[in-house]
Amino acid sequence: MTPVEQAFDWLEHTDLSMWVRGDSMLAFPAILTVHVLGTGFLAGTSSVIALRILGFARQVPLGLLAKFYPILWVALAGNVVSGTLLLIGYPYKAFTNPLFYVKLTLIALAIYLVVKIRNDVLRDPQNGKQREETSMWKRARFLAGLSLASWMGTIAAGRFLAYTFTWLRVGVPGGF
Amino acid sequence: MFTEPEVAQPWELWIRATELHHFIGQNGMWLWPLFQTLHYFGLSLLLGTVGLFDLRLLGLGKAVAPATLHKFIPLGVAGFILNLLTGIWFFFGFPEQYFYNPSFQLLLTFVGIAGINVAVFYLTDAFREVKLMPPGADAPLRAKIIAGTSLSAWVAVLICGRLITFYRPPFFH
Repeated sequence: MTPVEQAFDWLEHTDLSMWVRGDSMLAFPAILTVHVLGTGFLAGTSSVIALRILGFARQVPLGLLAKFYPILWVALAGNVVSGTLLLIGYPYKAFTNPLFYVKLTLIALAIYLVVKIRNDVLRDPQNGKQREETSMWKRARFLAGLSLASWMGTIAAGRFLAYTFTWLRVGVPGGF
Repeated sequence: MFTEPEVAQPWELWIRATELHHFIGQNGMWLWPLFQTLHYFGLSLLLGTVGLFDLRLLGLGKAVAPATLHKFIPLGVAGFILNLLTGIWFFFGFPEQYFYNPSFQLLLTFVGIAGINVAVFYLTDAFREVKLMPPGADAPLRAKIIAGTSLSAWVAVLICGRLITFYRPPFFH
């Protein structure tokens, strides 16, 4: 075993890792469930905000949407915790799959855009309808489109991770 | 709960004879995760609209009038339709794996409960009361009960959906 494999092998044999992988119907399915619930609220609320900027339900004042950001942060916290636990359960499976790094990059981009949209678009005191054709508004629409695409990309990467891994654990091949 | 019989039933044989079933079988490996992605996006839209509306009625983000948030509901309906269509796709791919799966059976039950709840909301005065609520107003008890039922039912649907893979019946046919 290379030193890197040894490190992953050690992590896979910690109590926490074995608890995540355990046969009980409690840990692993429960963690996955938290992860999908968090995704639903995080990607869902962000996508709805993006779709509003792109022109859906224009009657909804943009400034009000900033009120729902605490939901995003709670959902993100749930996903960071559940995602970390899944990573501890199967570290080699994720880290040996290039798609995992694509997913991490997309999440970083998506979170950056969510904050950028709040600061530059939702909190802009002049975000009324009158300037929908201005260059500022075109930029807002660009951010919204990119936000929507990055969340869809994140979900796609997450789903394809379950079908594209080449190792399940150190020395244990996986995949389909 | 009904369990899988030894012999394939006529409805299952019919599905297995369809073009769609064969198409999924031949192209499943890359289309399956793609349709799952759409399914996840659909449920996200549902939670991001209906879930948000329910949370507002339950007291979160009171500064926003429920009638304003209600403008987003068509997006949630679109998400639900997307999931119905992708769900039918999954079902046609592996019919008995879903039909005889207790988690899937429970999922459909919760979708039914959510559906009845939607009917109760729009067909009683509950919706009219909610539409008249100004920003900052506290929802009437009836609306809160309906919102709580909605949120619980959809969260239950998500949990059951995620657990389907852990309750697969064995293959017989």
